[in-house]
Amino acid sequence: MSGPLLSWLPLAPILTPMGLGLLALLPLRRGWRVLLSVGGAALVTLFGALLVGATAQGAVLSSALGAWPAPFGIVMTADRLSAFMSLLAGISGFFAAWLLAVREDPVREKYHSFALFLFLLTGVQLSFLTGDLFNLFVAFEVMLVASYALAVLGSTREQLREGFRYIVMNLSASALLVLACGLTYGVLGTLNFAHLAQRSAELGPNTTVTAVGILLLLVFAAKGALFPLGFWLPGTYPALPPAVSAFFAAVLTKVGVYALIRVFSTVFTEEDLPRTLLLGLATLTMLYGALGALSQREWRRILSFSVMGSVGYLAYGLGIGTPEALRGTVAYLAVSVLVTLALFLIAAVAERASGSREVRARGFLEFMPLLAACFLLCALTLAGLPPTGGFIAKYSLVRAALAEYAVGGGWLLIAATVSALLASLVTLLAMLNIWRGFFWGKHPREEPVRPVPLRERLPAYLSAGLVAGLALFGGPLFTRAGDTARELSVPEHYIRGVLGDQPVVIPAVKAAPVKDSADPAPASPQEKP
Amino acid sequence: MGSLFAVLIGLLVGAGVFLLLSRTIVRVVLGLAFIAYGVNLAILTVAGLEDKAPPLLTVPGPYVDPLPQALILTAIVIGFATTALLLTVALRAYQVAGHDDVAAFGDNLAREQDSTDGLQADPEHQSPDQPDWSDAADPAGRTL
Repeated sequence: MSGPLLSWLPLAPILTPMGLGLLALLPLRRGWRVLLSVGGAALVTLFGALLVGATAQGAVLSSALGAWPAPFGIVMTADRLSAFMSLLAGISGFFAAWLLAVREDPVREKYHSFALFLFLLTGVQLSFLTGDLFNLFVAFEVMLVASYALAVLGSTREQLREGFRYIVMNLSASALLVLACGLTYGVLGTLNFAHLAQRSAELGPNTTVTAVGILLLLVFAAKGALFPLGFWLPGTYPALPPAVSAFFAAVLTKVGVYALIRVFSTVFTEEDLPRTLLLGLATLTMLYGALGALSQREWRRILSFSVMGSVGYLAYGLGIGTPEALRGTVAYLAVSVLVTLALFLIAAVAERASGSREVRARGFLEFMPLLAACFLLCALTLAGLPPTGGFIAKYSLVRAALAEYAVGGGWLLIAATVSALLASLVTLLAMLNIWRGFFWGKHPREEPVRPVPLRERLPAYLSAGLVAGLALFGGPLFTRAGDTARELSVPEHYIRGVLGDQPVVIPAVKAAPVKDSADPAPASPQEKP
Repeated sequence: MGSLFAVLIGLLVGAGVFLLLSRTIVRVVLGLAFIAYGVNLAILTVAGLEDKAPPLLTVPGPYVDPLPQALILTAIVIGFATTALLLTVALRAYQVAGHDDVAAFGDNLAREQDSTDGLQADPEHQSPDQPDWSDAADPAGRTL
């Protein structure tokens, strides 16, 4: 691909679903809307794959909107991490759109569930590809407004209850995010990620910056459902229709995690306190998610708690903070997104087949052996047993933690590691509960087994195939994750990719006092030991 | 000037949090609006409250930094949209639950086992434009 096209590529996954979503608002027949949403998600996946290909050698793509140069205008940037997340979100979007299309729901479709889904995808892609903090807030809002509407669409009592809680929670978090943006601008005088990274490195350790960092940590922890702030999650996701909840579970919490990674490994690299805090929250989140999963008796409630647990593992990797741990985190991101997607799609089939949201119809191994195999694979991946991709990723996380402890980490590292191992075991127990309650045993005669058409089962099988692919192609995945982690631990690479080699010069008119660029020396490398 | 603004922001956010903790839906919505106002003022304050010229090149400098105001403008627009959406949801919740107390929603994790709630869109609540009960078929005798 040539230069000008390449610089437009980060915009493609954002503009495509937005345009198609607007088209889907037109009074079209259902077939057209299905085509728009499934085709749109497929196109986004394609663009995500192109981005992954374009950034594979370490290029940082950046498209400046309106040709305003980087720290002054709005830029869309794609480095390895952004491209990777964009692809994962595209894949999840494709499967969720597929399920949305094959599960007819006239009431919700009348009120534009397809268009809202495409807008949701727009917001998610915008969050992954944006290059400045305030734009991240805007992206969150685009994503969240679409998700609020999808959460309450259909107006069942449960949806309204959970939706209201979800909306209020997220609006409060958004208010904090705006505040954090304002404070960041007040302290550092810029909002562009690359420029922020440069300026915070110039400033060195600074308590005000730490405070802003903690505020951002709180916001992203609420969006990503870390322990005390994630109480809304296990109630909200099961209340939604299956296709929507699959996408929410697979991607929306990971947007929060992505923001955490971006902010604490690219921008605020000086701070140790947020890292310690993350490690502490992760310790609690992993255990809370696993124990919560064990306590529930409904398919998607169990899985929603396990989503929280997997966010805990991501925060754990981020809290350790070494490049090796980041590698594990990035790899576990892929594992977590795909396995959550697959499990929710399997749950959709299982709920339809047994006619109940509870895990209590026994003996489905006999009727749906392939689904049972897919479930077993995903359950083992989620629990982190060999030979699955989940094992490889969790193993690398734990190994990174022990290596960090060996060079002088605190007791919190050991507590988090114990929690990680214990939570894996408890998650396995929760998954075995599903296996025992749904697939094993003898099916009671009086309970009917409803047929599920192949077009509804196929997304579950295919996404489970992707989970198997994580194990089979663990090598390339880890190579890529390692490259990403190396890139993340050297923020200069990202800074140069966005701002260029020259120091940022404020144009001749008298500049605002905070925008001080007198020091032309590039920031010194801030690698964490 | 700065300390006056700080007190004002504190008051707004404090009132907002107080209202947010209430059990009445409308108060929650108002509380969120108060918090949003407080935050907007905070951005304005952080950017510096100085007597400077507007950023027009025909006016001699020094100029005030226009970016925080752009941020606030964006935040106001987004806040307007989300408040409208939240009010719609609140109205809908009031229609469905017949109550404006969030306690009427009940607890989620202790839901009754055989409820079919949430599996399909509720056919009785087809559209936000139609009220959920008519005067004739209202066993609970609820009125708007």
